[in-house]
Amino acid sequence: MIESIVIFSSLALILGLVLGYAAIRFKVKGNPLVDQIDAILPQTQCGQCDFPGCRPYAEALAKGEAQINQCPPGGQEGADALAELLGVETLVLNEEHGETKPDHVVYVDEKLCIGCTLCIQACPVDAFVGASKVMTTVIEKECTGCDLCIPVCPVDCIYIREIKPTLSTFIPNIPGEVHA
Amino acid sequence: MPDQTFSGGVVIANPYPVAQVKIIQAPLPNQVILPLQQRIGAEAKPCVKVGDRVLTGQMIAQTQDQFCVPIHASISGTVKAIDKQIIPHKSGLKSTCIRIESDGQDEWVETKGCGSDFLHCDRQTLIDYVQRSGIVGLGGAGFPSHTKLNKATDCHTLIINGTECEPGVMCDDALMQHHPREVIRGVEILLHITGAKRAIIAIEDDKQEAYQSLLMFNHSDLISLVQLPTKYTSGAEKLLIKALLDIEIPSGGFAADKGILCQNVSSTKAIFDAVIDQRPLVSRIVTITGNALTPINVEARLGTSFEQIISLTDVNQQAHDYRMGGMMMGIDIENTQMPICKITNCIFVNNKKPKPPTKECIRCNTCNTVCPIGLLPQQIYWHAKGENIEKCMDYNLLDCIECACCSYVCPSHIDLVGYFSFAKALHKKQATDQFKTDIARDRFEFREYRLERNKQERAQMMAEKKQALKDKMAKDKEQGQVQKDKIAQAMARVNKTKEKNA
Repeated sequence: MIESIVIFSSLALILGLVLGYAAIRFKVKGNPLVDQIDAILPQTQCGQCDFPGCRPYAEALAKGEAQINQCPPGGQEGADALAELLGVETLVLNEEHGETKPDHVVYVDEKLCIGCTLCIQACPVDAFVGASKVMTTVIEKECTGCDLCIPVCPVDCIYIREIKPTLSTFIPNIPGEVHA
Repeated sequence: MPDQTFSGGVVIANPYPVAQVKIIQAPLPNQVILPLQQRIGAEAKPCVKVGDRVLTGQMIAQTQDQFCVPIHASISGTVKAIDKQIIPHKSGLKSTCIRIESDGQDEWVETKGCGSDFLHCDRQTLIDYVQRSGIVGLGGAGFPSHTKLNKATDCHTLIINGTECEPGVMCDDALMQHHPREVIRGVEILLHITGAKRAIIAIEDDKQEAYQSLLMFNHSDLISLVQLPTKYTSGAEKLLIKALLDIEIPSGGFAADKGILCQNVSSTKAIFDAVIDQRPLVSRIVTITGNALTPINVEARLGTSFEQIISLTDVNQQAHDYRMGGMMMGIDIENTQMPICKITNCIFVNNKKPKPPTKECIRCNTCNTVCPIGLLPQQIYWHAKGENIEKCMDYNLLDCIECACCSYVCPSHIDLVGYFSFAKALHKKQATDQFKTDIARDRFEFREYRLERNKQERAQMMAEKKQALKDKMAKDKEQGQVQKDKIAQAMARVNKTKEKNA
């Protein structure tokens, strides 16, 4: 009788210690769902979803405080992918948040730029190079096409440039549809 | 002993055979169009201006990219324009080209090579000659020869690819028949550069004349000629190595990893021209074939328009379908205004014929049996159609050489290879997009971190400043007290003295 009590209590104690240690040692930092959602989002950081960037939107989605159809750059495919991940019915993209635009970047008309640095402050990915009272320009490779710099420019010298397919990025058409 | 073959592939006889393979010299073109974008690597930067006079063989564009070779003027004349022109590419997109109008002189630029004394030149000097002469793989892939040679540091076997397995193409056959001496000397140069112990020239057994003429000029113990059974895709590098040496190059690996270097036979001749005759690559042999004309081989300057080359034949007056490259791996083209490039080995001119209608896949499994790589085209086809690129990758889509054996045998006439090139391009786009997304995420997160850090630093700075001010004020106060005491003492002394005097 006593033996079994001792055996089981010590077992419980040891296992409890192991579990307690594991809980501290292997604690998951943050919400893993946020990372999964963030991986689907296009990282344009445009704020059209009413959140100040893709990660805040992902956090809101994980908490259930936002809808999956608030990301225009992600397009309908993005909304579908989010629906699949979160296990909910997919929703049609909400037009209130803007429309899906083709891939583009912005460029600065360097002759007109007055060096006000407002665009530098507005850019969520630090894609602008410049300083006060000198010409500013965009690092095209880093630009996500969020268009946040366009409304803040006091001289309207920032324009959109669509990304056209080149010889190396061209995607051939899928061959003619099968006739039944 | 290797059995000189590989599984899969298809046997197709030359659809438009000729009695005798000849090479016709094309007359000098009135103008040439030279694209700055080559098959691989970055676009070259022009080093001439509009209106400049250039000589044949003069370098007109170059780049620092290691995958690129300089571009040479293929005729002497005046640079008329540097603008966007249609180039032979499956996209039909325009690309920047240099247009040169001929002065009819064909005046050559003075070049410096090492002459026939190449044995006294070291490896790097010779590779530099190859690069500066603009030599790329002339079989169709257009891979720069110098990059291959640079990689082949530890090479034991050199394979010269004279298989020319694409049915209908005869340009390498013609070259081997009419320039055997240059080919053999070219192989000797390559042996010297790579330090390989042996060289194998592989020829398909339907090219007996080429085999005989090379055999006649080959006096070297190191060079052997091997005849391979005629079967399409035997010219693909990895399959050729499998057939000749029974060595398999793993997926994603290179022949150089196994100490093997493959070179096309035309490239070998071009290397001879570059090293011995000091001539950059300004012309190539093009086969014009098809059922609308009598097939011929033409040695044409690069940049000559297709139209001008086709006009040298007895082409009939009907409407035509045009195809560039081989009948299997080539691409259909709309018009004939585009220029001959280094990789243009053949032009098909066929009488217009509607394509057979595409039907549903009946899962007959024929494509799986002919795939020389051992892939499952049928599976990849379904996944590519559903744009499920991840699944395509699971079936090793990237190992597909787009040889079109599967499309050729498909009883439903499905353009399987079209789906595969679509899926490959989509995969590439997804990969670059993913890369860009990751960068954007990192930059956004870093910016957030930076803003937060700046805020904290500012707050800390303000706090420090406040503290410093407080300390100073306290100190001032203290100092003020001392001063006051001093004044009071002084006043006391003054008063004391006054009292004394009074």
